[in-house]
Amino acid sequence: MLPIILFELRQKSRSISTYVYFLMFFSLAMLWIAAAGGVFDGAVIDFGGKVHINSPVAISQTVTFLGYFGIVIVAAMMGRAIQQDTEHNIWHFFYSSPISKFQYLGGRFFGALLALILIFSSISLGAWLGCYLPGLSKNFLGPMIPAAYIAPYLTSLIPNLVIFGALFFTLGALYRRMLPVYVCSVVLLIGYLVAGTLARDVDDRTLAALLDPFGSRAISRVTEYWSITDKNTRIVPMEGLLLYNRLIWGAVGVLALAFCYWRFNFAAITASGKQKKEVTKKTAPAVVTIPLVTPNYGRSNILSLFISQCWLNLRETIKNVYFIVIALTGVMFMFSLSGALSKMYGTTTYPVTYAVLDLLGGSFSLFMLIITTFYAGELVWRERDARIAQLLDALPIPNWVPLMAKLVALISLQGILLFVLMLCGIVIQSFKGYTHYELGQYLQHLFLMQWPGYALIAVLAISIQVILNNKYVGYFVMIAYYIATIALPALGLEHPMIMYAGGPTPRYSDMNGYGHNLPQVIWYQLYWTGAALLLLGLSMLMSVRGTVSEWRNRISQARLGMTPAIRSTLIIGCLMFVSVGGLLFYYTNIVNHYENSFDREEDRAEYEKHYKQYEAMPQPRITDIKVAIDIFPEIRSAHAKASYQLVNKGTTPISEIFITQNKDIRMNQVHFDRNAALAIQDKTGFYSYKLTPALEAGDKLNLDFELEFAPKGVAGMGSESQILYNGSFFNSGVFPHIGYQSVTELTDDKQRKKHGLAEKERMRERDDPKGLANSYIANDADWIRFDATVSTSADQIGIAPGRLDKEWTENGRHYFHYAPDKPILNFFAFLSARYSVKKAQWNDVAIEIDYQKGHEYNLDRMIKGVQESLTYYTQNFGPYQHKMVRIVEFPRFASFAQAFPNTIPFSESIGFIAKVDDKDPKDLDYPFYVTAHEVAHQWWAHQVVSGNTKGATILVETLAQYSALMVMEKTYGKDKMRKFLKYELDQYLFGRGQERKKELPIAFNENQGYIHYSKGSLVMYLLQSQIGQDKVNAALRDVLAQYANKGAPYPSSKVLVDALRKVTPEDKQALIADLFESIILFENRALSASAKAIGNGQYEVTLKASMNKLKADELGAEKEVPLHEWIDIGVDDKDGNPLLRERKFIDRKEMTFTMLVKGEPAKAGIDPDNLYIDRKPEDNLIKVEMATK
Amino acid sequence: MELRIQNLSKQYSNGVQALNHISLTIPAGMFGLLGPNGAGKSTLMRTLATLQDADSGTAHLDAMDIKTHKDEVRRVLGYLPQDFGLYPKVSAYDLLDHFAVLKGLSNGKQRKEVVEGLLHQTNLFDVKNKHVGGFSGGMRQRFGIAQALLGNPKLIIVDEPTAGLDPEERVRFHNLLSDIGNDKIVILSTHIVEDVADLCNHMAVINKGAVILTGQPLELIDQIQGKIWKRFIEKSELARFQQQYQVISSRLTSGRTLVHVYADNSPGDSFTQAQGNLEDVYFSAMANLLPQQLASQLAQTAAPVVRAA
Repeated sequence: MLPIILFELRQKSRSISTYVYFLMFFSLAMLWIAAAGGVFDGAVIDFGGKVHINSPVAISQTVTFLGYFGIVIVAAMMGRAIQQDTEHNIWHFFYSSPISKFQYLGGRFFGALLALILIFSSISLGAWLGCYLPGLSKNFLGPMIPAAYIAPYLTSLIPNLVIFGALFFTLGALYRRMLPVYVCSVVLLIGYLVAGTLARDVDDRTLAALLDPFGSRAISRVTEYWSITDKNTRIVPMEGLLLYNRLIWGAVGVLALAFCYWRFNFAAITASGKQKKEVTKKTAPAVVTIPLVTPNYGRSNILSLFISQCWLNLRETIKNVYFIVIALTGVMFMFSLSGALSKMYGTTTYPVTYAVLDLLGGSFSLFMLIITTFYAGELVWRERDARIAQLLDALPIPNWVPLMAKLVALISLQGILLFVLMLCGIVIQSFKGYTHYELGQYLQHLFLMQWPGYALIAVLAISIQVILNNKYVGYFVMIAYYIATIALPALGLEHPMIMYAGGPTPRYSDMNGYGHNLPQVIWYQLYWTGAALLLLGLSMLMSVRGTVSEWRNRISQARLGMTPAIRSTLIIGCLMFVSVGGLLFYYTNIVNHYENSFDREEDRAEYEKHYKQYEAMPQPRITDIKVAIDIFPEIRSAHAKASYQLVNKGTTPISEIFITQNKDIRMNQVHFDRNAALAIQDKTGFYSYKLTPALEAGDKLNLDFELEFAPKGVAGMGSESQILYNGSFFNSGVFPHIGYQSVTELTDDKQRKKHGLAEKERMRERDDPKGLANSYIANDADWIRFDATVSTSADQIGIAPGRLDKEWTENGRHYFHYAPDKPILNFFAFLSARYSVKKAQWNDVAIEIDYQKGHEYNLDRMIKGVQESLTYYTQNFGPYQHKMVRIVEFPRFASFAQAFPNTIPFSESIGFIAKVDDKDPKDLDYPFYVTAHEVAHQWWAHQVVSGNTKGATILVETLAQYSALMVMEKTYGKDKMRKFLKYELDQYLFGRGQERKKELPIAFNENQGYIHYSKGSLVMYLLQSQIGQDKVNAALRDVLAQYANKGAPYPSSKVLVDALRKVTPEDKQALIADLFESIILFENRALSASAKAIGNGQYEVTLKASMNKLKADELGAEKEVPLHEWIDIGVDDKDGNPLLRERKFIDRKEMTFTMLVKGEPAKAGIDPDNLYIDRKPEDNLIKVEMATK
Repeated sequence: MELRIQNLSKQYSNGVQALNHISLTIPAGMFGLLGPNGAGKSTLMRTLATLQDADSGTAHLDAMDIKTHKDEVRRVLGYLPQDFGLYPKVSAYDLLDHFAVLKGLSNGKQRKEVVEGLLHQTNLFDVKNKHVGGFSGGMRQRFGIAQALLGNPKLIIVDEPTAGLDPEERVRFHNLLSDIGNDKIVILSTHIVEDVADLCNHMAVINKGAVILTGQPLELIDQIQGKIWKRFIEKSELARFQQQYQVISSRLTSGRTLVHVYADNSPGDSFTQAQGNLEDVYFSAMANLLPQQLASQLAQTAAPVVRAA
């Protein structure tokens, strides 16, 4: 066998492609690391938070990720290792030589495997050397861990090479063709994709980890809850799910090889052995006269010839079994995805057309690209591969006919696939019992927006094949193009005019349709069509007819081949490309100011560098805002006239006022009611006015101004603007703010460094009086009087916070006047759309939902959510300050809900189309939950608002979470809470592993979602379970009583923690510090459980459990701390219903408990309801072994 | 109808001079292009069949320059390449019909007659519904010629059509070719002398890209009558004979070596005079024994003869 291996290796070492592959992966890895290490200003690659670029997890990710691209190479090298003998017709020699099957197959397989391992060793090498590149920022580097560069090969890459290699090799050996090999690589990719979709839901992650042939999901599953310290130091161990995954797939690989050995034989290869023998032995041929026919070379004949050629090419492709295999896998893939239709908390949404299209269109695009690339090669090379080209090339057909026929066939093929996609979508909708088919949307999305894009790719793929005139180089270049479309933006080259076939992707919303982006899409399509015409013209000239293959000959032939048609194609293409390109450039870079992400960061950095100096200067505060805003949805514009009343609440006169204004919205007619000279006006939106006379302490000042919202555009294209045709929503962020706004500053240290700024703390210390002088919502106002007049088009409703005071129509426009009864925070929003309105009542509070017609599904749930919330909150916290609760739908371009005074804008995507099945124990009524959370903000934010220091958000977000949890528990019971908290636990643990700076205890958190929402839920739920809901609510009432509707100084998190501490019994005081002032993780585990029946249906259950308590630091380094807890132990029956819960004092790491239960026990364990933060919640329960009598 | 080739040269990028100032005038009728493997025959054929351009020189079919009037040439061209494949899973009838469509036979009824007629003529009618992938070498070549004859071409180029055929198939193939009318130019390239001897009334020999002999086979045979001598020798003596005489060929006959020697007068040494045939002409030309002068003279004389015919 060795000589065969050596021969194979020698062959590979002489082949240029080996070195190309090696260098390619080497440089990709290097580039990747360099980009993550900050060498390129614009690059956005990152391994998640403070994970070092040379940490084991980063290297593992790099190796695995780049390994995906490698699958094509594995397929090519493994398949060809054996198939080449057939292709080059050299098999006779090998099959007849005195070597055994084992030697032959083994030699080829291991030869190719070794070559592949050598090629892919370049990734680690590149990732390692990449760390020494100049320009790399040293603080992204951790200590070098040599084993980290080797481990991914042992756990991931080499096993993958063996597994995939075995499959490819087997197919290559048995079919003696490459097509099945490539098809197999596509099918494997699907395994990866399906696993990826499954992994979105916590419950399916284990399955996903096993299903992914690449093993990467298993790696993510093993490392998902690793802290930053873990990620920087621990090597991904080959254990648990990863080990099982490798074993399962390894077995698949071994079986494939065994099958290959069993089925392969050294039999001769025949095309189709059936009719080799001569069929007729007739003597002289019959004398026939062949009619003399004058061939027709007329225009009409050429046209019909062309059509029949298109049809022929299409038919030959579709008939092909491999095409059917790929298309069918695609279809199966789509059906397997349909289960995961936009899940949230494990609960699906209705399969509305845009959701189906998003899901299917997105994932099917991979198939589309594979099929396009692959069949471009097949079509272009069809005649030459069949060696019939010389016959055909000598026929009197114009050059353009075969080429264009192939292109048309390929584009038609895409059309057919899109049609299949549409059918799949409709079938999926029908299966789910959804019959509101929107054919128009399907057709528009698939055939007017996606098809032209795919057609452009088809032109590129065909042109590359024709021009480069080498099938495999052609494939390679196409793959390079796909990589470039992903990699270039990541490296900072984001301009949409750079990447062939690029352009904006408009998003659909039931409210706004495709909206204003459509013209831009069409212009981009035209622009690239110009480029495509140039490519086509060039291909037509360079297409090889006959046996010419040398460049000089092809070029001289191209000179001769220039026909008027080709010339005009080139000229038209050039004109389109240049003129539409000019228009687009004018629109993007001149009418609008083009900025990539780096430039946008740079603007923020500039703002900080220049104007931070004014932060400490005393500024007057806003006390009154009066706005009259006219919204013109049909031209996406608005005009606002506003006036602020400013008061100098300080003690010193103010002679200079600073204003920060969103730079995309023009501020005009700025007018103070005293002399004010404009001193600074900056493109970053910073203004300064010198007042004469200065504003004395306690004095008032009026500021009037106008705002102009208008999209900047040309030729139907218009930039983004807050105003949409239907469904505008924008908040006070677009209004001018007084003083320097530190929220504008870059917060990420990596980014700050890139822009020459020092690292900074994200928030002030908890008790810093400067921080507590402002609410965390606004730094230029306390509680303000607000008055808004909104006008919009006659068919729309305009909305602002406050009571609707008056509504009228004037000049064909719809006017609304809103005024809250009480002062509000400087936090307000405007909305306008064609709403349907649903009304309800709770005591004297009106409930109103303004929604898009057709989205009636969950209105009752939301109303119930409002009612239950108002009941619970008014009973337990205090009165509701408004006379109305209004939920207002806005388009799904953002997916959140936000609470303004009595007004809750609520995204189309997070509840309006949720499909909650009350009978399904797994479904969570999240429209209800989100509503409860937002209504809670009417207390926690709009009554008590915290200061702007560390921990502040627990008074707002954590309490809103707690409130919603309590309402939900009251309505849906404890079981649903277990389910809900599982998602919160997952998000918290995952979130801390992505931390960009440091994780602090929740009472010191720095506005981090995974802490104040997710950990907040867990902490508060555990607390109320330990000390009782009543006590917690009493503490909250206390906070409200002291701080509601008061100005500076604002409360800090200390206020809440102290209030809770006050109500906590002496023996549980330590819990407060653990929950709020430390980061504590538990490792609770049931070791064994047994039970014996003691008669009367009673059982005695003995449980042995281990407990461990860990305290983590900012980056997750842990140390054990002594146990001193009250933790539940419990027993469940076989349906998972609790038979017993008993709280035990835990002070040792291993303890044994005995319990008496009524009913047959199935599982027993410690912390059975997962109230504690534990990275392995699933091992808390264990099966109960029944003792035999 | 006449094909005039003037100074055609072609060098491949690996340095091989495939065509070296080739000039030929080819009249209507069957023209044999004889030469060893690698002589440049296929390059010349492909150049004439519009599939490849020469670096310099021209080829004209009557007034049409082949390089610049490819489309026009293709309309009167029938080409059977030396090495070709067929879509394996298509029936003979369908494939030939497909070619017929591409050759401009747009009328369905007429096309059917032509296709069936050609299948009859090439004796493939009985297998017209079989997949061409299962065809034997001879059937494939016959299919190839059927394809080449579609659309009544004026210029038919067949490149090494008999290589690898068994004797019976070769005869069948010769018959097929001989049926093609005399009003067309048929260029047959081959390395088998018999093909030319059997079929052609004009011929040329090329070697290393250059024409070394042109003429009519019968005349050429006449030219060498009386100059070819033969005798049997021992195999071990071959080297000595090759040194001593102008040995043009040596072959084994019943285990003994028969050598042919070119000499104006009897070389003695028990040589006897042999009846010169086309093979002797070919080998003499290959051994450069036919003086260059003679070759070019013949080339010049060939044309008037043809015009007279």
